[in-house]
Amino acid sequence: MQGTKLEIPLWLAKGLHDSKRRIISVELPKIYKEAWRTVFSADATVVDLHKLGPYYYGFGSQLLNFDNPENPEIAQTLLQTFISRFRHIMDSSQNAYNEDTSVLVARLDELERALFQAGQKGLNDFQCWEKGQASQITASSLVQNYGKRKFPEMDG
Amino acid sequence: MEVWMNDEVPERSLLRYSRFQLILQGDLGPFNPGLPVEVPVWLAINLKQRQKCRLIPPEWMDVAKLEEIREQERKEDTFTPMPSPYYMELTKLLLNYASDNIPKADEIRTLVKDTWDTRVAKLRLSADSFVQQQEAHAKLDNLTLMEINTTGTFLTQALDRMYKLRTNLQPGESSHSQDF
Repeated sequence: MQGTKLEIPLWLAKGLHDSKRRIISVELPKIYKEAWRTVFSADATVVDLHKLGPYYYGFGSQLLNFDNPENPEIAQTLLQTFISRFRHIMDSSQNAYNEDTSVLVARLDELERALFQAGQKGLNDFQCWEKGQASQITASSLVQNYGKRKFPEMDG
Repeated sequence: MEVWMNDEVPERSLLRYSRFQLILQGDLGPFNPGLPVEVPVWLAINLKQRQKCRLIPPEWMDVAKLEEIREQERKEDTFTPMPSPYYMELTKLLLNYASDNIPKADEIRTLVKDTWDTRVAKLRLSADSFVQQQEAHAKLDNLTLMEINTTGTFLTQALDRMYKLRTNLQPGESSHSQDF
């Protein structure tokens, strides 16, 4: 029905969207609108992207599929937010060794958390080498489960 | 890597490592007691562990030289060329297995660690300014593999993400990809 406002999943909105026929128009979630964009440009490092997101970058990028006049500003905000938070993610992930990192990752969105993991891996691998553990041969995680599962017997 | 042979020496004056013939092959020596000889690091460590020799540290593994390097590293914005592309690895190996052959081993350990810390901090600073200014490419001279590997995975993934966010800025893309 024309003029109805509905909540639908992103994939459905993408499917229905057609810039020529204008079946639907998409309303931006508030964190991508101007008021919040101003907050991000003031200081993006303090924002809790996990609470607001948790897929702030991913979802924001997908939103750009719909012909919204604010798209250039949204795209710019996504990029600038990432850039300003980069330093903190790099420093914290590469310095926190063998610590509880839950506070450090609490306000990161999912993309940033994956990056944090990558930083931690670099650090952990280095520390492992430093301690002389790198020369010990260990079973690859790929084969550790071999022999633990057996194919079920075929019945009659 | 130079080793100084102790008095007991294998009977044959040339050692052949025939067990490794499939992978590598060659002759080393001659091994004479009381005379220095150049060998690959792996053999030096092995002989040392078997107490058949004394190791001679490389000439850069010296307090004065390393202090000089550390000062330069702290002073300059760019990376100091290191005396060996494997300075970290060699330091660790020699200090672990042959610290008795290395004068002032503890000081050396500290100096190398300080230099490493400074270099890694510089690397992160470079990475951050690279990202801030959205450069297309950068060149960093005189880094060693060890330093690159520590930050590498993080940096390449971050730049990959950033690149995708940058392509968002181009209008008129036929469709933004589904994966992120």
